[in-house]
Amino acid sequence: MAEINQYKVACSPHKLDGATTRRVMLDVLIALLPCLVCGVVFFGLYALMLVVICVAACFASEQVYNLIRKKPFTTDLSALVTGVILGLNLPPRAPWYIPVVGGVFAIVIVKMLFGGLGKNFANPAAAGRVFLLLAYGSAMTSFIGADIAGNILSADVTTGATYLGGGVGALADGFLGAEGYWGYVLQLFLGKVGGSIGETSALAVLIGGGYLIARRVIDWRIPLVYLLTAAAMALLCYGSANEILLQLFSGGLMFGAFFMATDYATSPKWKYNRVLYAFGLGVITVLIRRFGSYPEGTSLAILFMNLLVPAMDRFLVPVRFGQTTKKGAPKPQVMKWAMRGLCLVLALAIAVAAPLVSYTEVAFYKGDYAYIQSVSRDFSGKYVFDVKGTAELGKFSQPLEYEIQADAKSQKVVGIRPITQSTKGYVAELSFFEGKTYDEIVALKDLSTDAQTSATYTNIALKNMIVECFSALDFELGKYTDLVLQEEYTYISGAERSGAKLRFTVSGQADLSSPSRPYFQQLEYVVTIENGRVKYIQTVTESTKGYTVDRALFLGKTYEDILAMTEEGIRADGTTGATITNVKVRDMLLECFESECFASAAGGEQV
Amino acid sequence: MFTFANGVHPKGCKELSAGSGIGRGPEPKNVYVPLSQHIGAPAVPVVEAGERVLCGQLIAKAAAGLSANVYSPVSGTIKGVVGHITLSGKKKNHILIENDFLEEKTFLPHMEEITGESVLARIAEAGIVGMGGAAFPTAAKLNVQGKNVDFLVVNGAECEPYITCDYRIMLEYAQEFLQGVRYCMLAAGVKRAVIGIEDNKKDAIAKLSSLAGDGVAVKALKTKYPQGSEKQLVYSCLKRVIPENKLPADAGVVVVNVHTALAVYKAVAEDTPCYERVMTVSGKAVATPKNIWVKNGTLYRDVAAFCGADENCARIVSGGPLMGEPVFSLKVCTGKGTSSLLFLDESECESKNAEPCIGCGRCVQACPMGLSPVFIERALFDKNYEEAEAYGAAYCIGCGCCSYVCPAKRFLVQSVKLAKKEVRARADKKRREAEKKNG
Ligand code: SF4
Ligand code: SF4
Repeated sequence: MAEINQYKVACSPHKLDGATTRRVMLDVLIALLPCLVCGVVFFGLYALMLVVICVAACFASEQVYNLIRKKPFTTDLSALVTGVILGLNLPPRAPWYIPVVGGVFAIVIVKMLFGGLGKNFANPAAAGRVFLLLAYGSAMTSFIGADIAGNILSADVTTGATYLGGGVGALADGFLGAEGYWGYVLQLFLGKVGGSIGETSALAVLIGGGYLIARRVIDWRIPLVYLLTAAAMALLCYGSANEILLQLFSGGLMFGAFFMATDYATSPKWKYNRVLYAFGLGVITVLIRRFGSYPEGTSLAILFMNLLVPAMDRFLVPVRFGQTTKKGAPKPQVMKWAMRGLCLVLALAIAVAAPLVSYTEVAFYKGDYAYIQSVSRDFSGKYVFDVKGTAELGKFSQPLEYEIQADAKSQKVVGIRPITQSTKGYVAELSFFEGKTYDEIVALKDLSTDAQTSATYTNIALKNMIVECFSALDFELGKYTDLVLQEEYTYISGAERSGAKLRFTVSGQADLSSPSRPYFQQLEYVVTIENGRVKYIQTVTESTKGYTVDRALFLGKTYEDILAMTEEGIRADGTTGATITNVKVRDMLLECFESECFASAAGGEQV
Repeated sequence: MFTFANGVHPKGCKELSAGSGIGRGPEPKNVYVPLSQHIGAPAVPVVEAGERVLCGQLIAKAAAGLSANVYSPVSGTIKGVVGHITLSGKKKNHILIENDFLEEKTFLPHMEEITGESVLARIAEAGIVGMGGAAFPTAAKLNVQGKNVDFLVVNGAECEPYITCDYRIMLEYAQEFLQGVRYCMLAAGVKRAVIGIEDNKKDAIAKLSSLAGDGVAVKALKTKYPQGSEKQLVYSCLKRVIPENKLPADAGVVVVNVHTALAVYKAVAEDTPCYERVMTVSGKAVATPKNIWVKNGTLYRDVAAFCGADENCARIVSGGPLMGEPVFSLKVCTGKGTSSLLFLDESECESKNAEPCIGCGRCVQACPMGLSPVFIERALFDKNYEEAEAYGAAYCIGCGCCSYVCPAKRFLVQSVKLAKKEVRARADKKRREAEKKNG
């Protein structure tokens, strides 16, 4: 036998797993491709150029740093990974020098000065993004428009419109055939919205993230727990299950969860610490979004949690196999059960709470609503109205927006959540309305709040909004059967009935002509009368210029009350048009009370 | 599925030698029988140069304390006690015997009655040590008087890649092996035994299950490294945790290896002491991977020649590829604990250069003992031994999972072992000082 003499001696283990640093970094680059492709498709080649500049800046600054410090050139691909991630975090129309500044900052200051690969305490890309946000605030928050029609807007059209910054207003109403809520969700999921280059498409992030998890490059716990926590926090902070998907799919949350929070050097090493870390990320992200002054919280949350990682690694150490306490008892696996419990609680909380606060949008389309913007209902039959209006506070007209929760069966206002109202204290006194029935609210006479006229005006506006909500509910959803009319009427064009309620469709014209210009305003209302009193007046058509009926005059009134009204009494302060409308409505109501239906309904139950 | 937490999944590579039945090994001209084939003090020679010995004759007696008898594997002439190189690189005393190829045998006296005590005495007499690799004298291990031990766990996991000797024994010597297990139970005074076997050895599980019974159970364990490590095995088989700094007996179990059980059978029923063992010779650089009976004291070179090792072999390993020692000289010779010799070619082993740690945490996720190798290494570099201790350096079992998974190819086991040594030394020093203070 020939002598064996070529062999090497090396220490154990003699077989190694296939993973290498380069391979890991390569996998991350591969996983980033879908995001990059989406970014380029949505935002054009300029976006690609930004990413390339950023990668080049990162790579070059690392090698220059090595040159100056007389260190060997680095061949791992980590600088490229940082470059791509930071590049994808930039707005698609950022000026060219932004990626340069960001890349140099991320690599030199955040990474190399702390000792290079694996030694940095903060995520270079997240730190770079936050640095740029502070340094170039406006450039970093100018996103190009929400490509609603599928067109790529030209390079100089920028807006601040993202879902987080501008709400659903930044989204298209319908998308790929899906209307309303699901349209928004679909749009955010596919990423055809305003936002940073690589982070808009949740789908692309999921493809890349799935690849990384399948290749075991990242720990699934971090993105999963992050998203779970963010979902639970969205539920808690926004009080609506509908917000969950919108929050998860918008902004940089998905991208951050899969690509930035999982950064090796800056995330904890033990799996249960990772759960805790991801939990912290989810909480902070949503808190910043909801209550902070930045619409986006992912990068800040990551930076903040990065600072806690060394402490977590040092003080929350894995329980060793067979470890005992000083007394000799097995050491309890506190972190393990605490973290498992935490995840279980989060999942359960979402499972239990989400159906309770999940809303489906209800389409209201028959009436002409002065205040109602959108209506949705939750599983229990509670309706939630988003209402907008204004209160005239002297020279100043104060925009108002409320969310009114109403129960259709008991006719009660369940809750009111102010969204926009005066910041100077002229706010609505919610206790006037909350828990009250429609009839009680209609009967409210005195809406003044201790001599604050402005607050009183706000109260009056809110009352009108509530009245509109209930009349809209009855108008859109009430189940009425048609009645056949025998006689001829001036105004009445149809009558229906439901139990003790009679409902008339009335129409006519109000003569709003001015001396110079003749003008007749078409009026159409649906009037509901119950037990001899006017219950609802729902507008179908009336003036769009403010010459509208003043419902407070008529609601809750009997035939006698209305008959006794003088023209003086129904004069609306100063606006003749409104007065004329009111007079017309009075005539209409009188005709309803005098009609055959009313007579027969009052006389007996047969019609 | 019965298993433990963490660990790794290396490729088994057992197909190379799994199909080869146990055959006879080389008949060397000279055997260098090590006096120290076990944990504890080296045995004391009882033969003189020039003396003729028979195969199976006592040539070195166990020293006082922890030690084991050594028997001659061949018949021939004693050439003397010589210093010979060992795997660690140190020269140690070996008894050089020139083989006369007459194969004249001698046996231990036949056992008249088989009781726990007599079996235990026979195990000590026959010089049996743990043959899984640790080479701890078996008699000392099975002597669990005063401890509340109720289970014998037999280690048939064979979790290291390549090695198949225990597997072949379970297949070919099933009856003898099971009888050996019963002798061990007798010696340890336990009524129940469980044989833990990784589920990549389906036929061994099936065969032993059909023959076992009567207090002996077979348990299929998940194929995962290090399933055969004592603490992990006991946990997988019985869900019992051996507390740190304690012996298996403190958890009510004793653990023996498959081959050890067979050696016990041979000593008790066939009156044959322990002087040879089944070894796996495998790797892509050997012409015919084999499982063979190899006499203690055979030079690695003879084994290599016997199996046709390729001269282009890239690395030689004694033991499994994860924990095995690298072989730097083929002059080293086999002992009771040498379970395998691997001749690996380029494709089977990579040489590595350590790169900076990227902090991926894989080593933490892989460590079956729940340590944090990455932080232990950092603490070691900072000479911060308190921190190394906090991350558990003292409890490393040296399994190598951490190094196996590290993408930066860091020398983690070595670092952790170094830290362990230092931490243990410091703890010992502290204890001694405390003892001195207390008188
Ligand atoms: S630290 Fe020790 S016990 Fe843990 S994986 Fe490494 S070698 Fe094994
Ligand atoms: S596996 Fe290697 S690279 Fe990863 S944390 Fe451990 S030592 Fe660092």
